[in-house]
Amino acid sequence: MTDSKFELHVPSTPGSEKLAMDFAADVARRMNFPADRVEDLKTAVAEACMNAIEHGNKLDASTRVGIRLTLSKDRLQVVVQDKGPGIGEVKPPDLASRIEGRAEPRGWGIYLIENLMDEVTFESTAEGSVVKMLIYLEKGK
Amino acid sequence: MTKNAEISTRLKGDVSVIDIRGDVTPAAAAPIEDAYRGITAAGGKKILLAFNADCYINSGGIAVLIGVLSQTKKNAQTVRITGLTPHFQKIFSMVGLTKYAQISPSEDAGLAGFQESR
Repeated sequence: MTDSKFELHVPSTPGSEKLAMDFAADVARRMNFPADRVEDLKTAVAEACMNAIEHGNKLDASTRVGIRLTLSKDRLQVVVQDKGPGIGEVKPPDLASRIEGRAEPRGWGIYLIENLMDEVTFESTAEGSVVKMLIYLEKGK
Repeated sequence: MTKNAEISTRLKGDVSVIDIRGDVTPAAAAPIEDAYRGITAAGGKKILLAFNADCYINSGGIAVLIGVLSQTKKNAQTVRITGLTPHFQKIFSMVGLTKYAQISPSEDAGLAGFQESR
C-alpha cells in the first residue's frame, strides 16, 4: 500500500480541535482501527490541537493549526503544527499536589498524548512547533 | 462544533446527583462549580457525578473536575462517578481521578455504593 496523505487546517479558536479529532477518527475507522484505538486517537489529536491553539498560536484566530495525516498499511501518523516556540520540557503531572491545591489543576494534555499514542515526538522548527504522533493498527507493535 | 455543557442537579435520597451533558471543557467550569457550590451550601455530603455517554471531555475539563475534587476533599464529601464510556473510564484511571472518586457502572450501582461505604 502506498502512503496516502491528508491535510487539514483549523482556526486557532477553542472547539476547532474537534474538527481535527473527528477527521482523524473518520480516517482511522476507514483503516479498520479497533474502536478503542480510535477513541485513543481522538483524545490525543484533540489534546495536541488544543495545545497548538492555546499555547502555540495563543488563540489568535487569524492563525491556523495544521494537521497532516499519513496513512500506511499498519499505522497512522498525525502531525500537528503551530506557530509557537514549542513546549520545552514537561514534567509528568502530579494529581495529589493538584488535589491539595499546591499546583494548578491543568497540564494533562501532553501526559494523555504520550500515554495514548504508540510514539510521540515534539520538535521546534523555524516555522513553529510540531507534534508527531504515531498509532499502530495493532497496539504495542 | 462545540456543545455547551448542560449541568443540572437532583436529589436521590441523601445523594446529590450532578447530571453532566455536552462538552466538559474549561467552558464548563462555571456551571459545574455553581452546581457543586449549591450542593455544598445545602449540606450535601454525597455527590454522584452522572455523565451522559455522549460527553466530550478534554484535559481542560479534567482540570475542572480536579478542582471540584480538591474542594470535596476539603469539605469531607464523598464523590462517585457514573455514565462514563470505557474510554473515559480509562482516561480517568490514567490521570488518577479514580483514587478520589470511584467509578460505578450505573447510577443505581453508584447510589448503592454510597450506602455500602457508610
